[in-house]
Order: sequence, then structure tokens, then C-alpha cells
Amino acid sequence: MSYPAKLSAIIELFSGLPDAEKRETLIAYADQAKSQEPRDGETFDLEDVRKDEECTDTVAIYLRLDEQGGAHFRISLGPQVQTLTRAMSSILCKGLEGVSPADILEIPADFVPKIVGAELVRLRSQTVYYLLTRIKSVSKVWLQRQRNATEDNNE
Amino acid sequence: MSIDNNYAHPDALVTTSWMADHLKDPGIRIIESNEDILLYDVGHVPGSVHIDWQRDLQDHTIRDYIQPEAFAALCSRNGITPETTCIFYGDKSNWWSCYALWVFRLFGHEKVKIMDGGRDKWIEEGRPLTREVPHYEMSAYPAPSKRRDAEIRAFYDDALAQSRGNLPLIDVRSPGEFKGLVTHMPEYPQEGVLRGGHIPGAHGIPWKQSVNNDATFKSAEDLRKIYQTDLGLKPDDQIIAYCRIGERSSHTWFVLNYLLGFDKVRNYDGSWTEWGNRVGAPIEKSL
Repeated sequence: MSYPAKLSAIIELFSGLPDAEKRETLIAYADQAKSQEPRDGETFDLEDVRKDEECTDTVAIYLRLDEQGGAHFRISLGPQVQTLTRAMSSILCKGLEGVSPADILEIPADFVPKIVGAELVRLRSQTVYYLLTRIKSVSKVWLQRQRNATEDNNE
Repeated sequence: MSIDNNYAHPDALVTTSWMADHLKDPGIRIIESNEDILLYDVGHVPGSVHIDWQRDLQDHTIRDYIQPEAFAALCSRNGITPETTCIFYGDKSNWWSCYALWVFRLFGHEKVKIMDGGRDKWIEEGRPLTREVPHYEMSAYPAPSKRRDAEIRAFYDDALAQSRGNLPLIDVRSPGEFKGLVTHMPEYPQEGVLRGGHIPGAHGIPWKQSVNNDATFKSAEDLRKIYQTDLGLKPDDQIIAYCRIGERSSHTWFVLNYLLGFDKVRNYDGSWTEWGNRVGAPIEKSL
């Protein structure tokens, strides 16, 4: 499967950058992680808040579906979460905006090293992968609930 | 807060406040070493340089540290001479700064210190961070004649002999890792270890016992109670410390060596990622 358009644009942006600029851009995304947190008054269709075994601190994923069935994520991260993972939270919130949960499940994880660069994906920084796993997990739960609700209505 | 003068080598530590007053001292180099690979780029102590445990200190083609020539080049490009006092600090209660310090000692660099409390304490106290990367003039650093592997580093065979000889082995991992209940640190990914447990005869003394909540080291009295009174270690004991990849045990190595004055302590950096995967390595589990 090809990547969603917004995520694809981010991957393209990173793949053209030399290492130093790649790091600066990742930090710029990490700086924006706060702005991806839930805002006052927002409501969500699904919330998954827990201390993540893989991210060393609390990772909370909030999912809202729009009328077209597109997903919109908010993510809040505990203070011990690594900078790279913070960057990935901004990238995923923006890159997956409006993508259906079913399509999110199909996205391969091979874009992570394309964005982050091989040097930074290593022992003790593998947590960059886990946000995508968590997002997929929330998407899967939401799809299952939808299926269950449909089955209940048909009975 | 001041440094406890009852440590064996109180001059091996500086406080954050001392650091703030000496940022521009010509004879020192402040070195940040972290687990979080981008943390230095996010902001660091003004004037500090970044030494990365993997990129800068490890050989990339063999599981080993860099050779003396590469160490000399690393020091040269950071403006460090053999006379420079290197002051290390970092995240994770100074795990990686102790690790970097230990590697500097492997190459015989004498003047090394840790900023007590590390990066978190510096930030907690509202002290300044900068994103400006300093550039120091290249210095002359002669390649050390050898690495001091035999003095402060232990290998598999050394750890095995220690175990068979009932000599002190300190496992500084979390209790769950020591008991063999888990094969990774709590809240960390599995890092590829096939067996759980500990080296037979090892004592489980988690590194965390030696620090306060603000990441500073505990007092000399508290440390003596942990390692001497309760565990029964003596200053002239030959001791080997280990963890998973050698960073947490570097922290304990620093405590035993610099703060308690035990001068026959070695860090087994192969640690559990070697032992727990090694064919035929004996393993003990406990409840």
C-alpha cells in the first residue's frame, strides 16, 4: 500500500534532507508535540491512556472520527518520552489526519527509518516505532467496536 | 546543596551550582551524554559538547570500544587535551555520563568528574540551556598507548571466574531482571536476550539504590550502609558489576570507585546481553 498523502509528503520532505537538517526538522516536530495534545472541550470516540511499556512513560492516544469516517488523533506524552518519539507523535498526528482507521492498519512501518534516518533508529531509540503500533491498536479497537455495533443492530 | 566531603573522592563530583559558576573556565570541558539521542540538540548546558555513547565511543564493526587513535581524535575535535578536566552530565540519573566517564578512564584520561544530579537537576533548578553548539579549536591529544581493559573492564571469562570463585559480583539491574522474571528493563523494549536470570552467585543491588529522587548520589554514609554494612563488601575486594549493556553498571562502578574508594572494581560491559545469549553460560534464577 502507498502511504497516505500527508504522510507521504512528510516522508518526501525528510528523504531529501541531509542528516543535520533532518535532525533539526525532527526537533522542530518534537517542539510541536505539545500542540498535538487534546484541547479544552474536545471530545473523542476512543481514548487509550496508559503508561506504555515501550515508551518509558505515559502515552495517551485520543481518536476522533469525522463525518466521512476519517481519523483525527491527539497524543499526549509523559516527560520521560524520548525526543524522537515526540517528533513522531507530531508527524503521525499530521500525516494520518483524515485517513480511515481501516487504511491506517495497512500502513507499513518502513517509513520510520526513511524519516528518522538509519543512524537514529538504534538500540534505546526503537520507541519511535511504538507510537504507530499504539495508533494502529486504537484504530483496530474502534473498527472492532463498529463491527460489534453493526452486528447488534442486525440482530 | 554541597558535595558530601565524606566520599572517598569528593572532587569527582561538582554541583549544578558550581557548574553554573564555571561554564567558561578554560581548563574544563563540559560533556553531555544521554540515552535520548536528540536531547543535546533540544538544549544543553552552555558550552557543553555532545559525546554519544554509540556513535562516538563504540566500534561499529565489532562489539568493542573505539581504539586509542579514535579516542585521541574524539578528544582533539572537542578541544580536549590530557590536562583538560572533563565534567560529564546527562539524562537518566547520569547513566550515560558515568558510562562515558568510564570509557575516558579506559583510555587513562585522569581528570574526570560528574555533575551531580545530571541534566534533570540542572533543568529543575531553572538553569539555562542553549541550542548553540560550541566549536573549540582542535587540540593535541596523543593516542594513549593502550586501553586499560585489564584494570577497570571485565569480560565474560572474568565474570565466569568471579562467579566460580565466589567473588563479589553485583547485578545492578531491576529486581525483576535479576530474578529472571523479565528479560528487559521495566518500561523498556526487549533488547534481544534469550535467557533471563543472573550470573550464579551475583548479588542484586539495583543501581537506583545509590541515588536520591533528584538523581543526586546518596550520602557516603548511605552508600556505605548499602555496599559495606548490608552487602559486606570491603574496599580491597575485587568486584565486578554488570547490567544489560554496561551503562547502569558504569553508574555503580563510579559509586564504588570514586565515592566509596574501592579501587579494584571492574565493569562487565558485555553484561546480560552477552551472558544471557551465550551458549553454555550458567544462569541462576531466584524467586
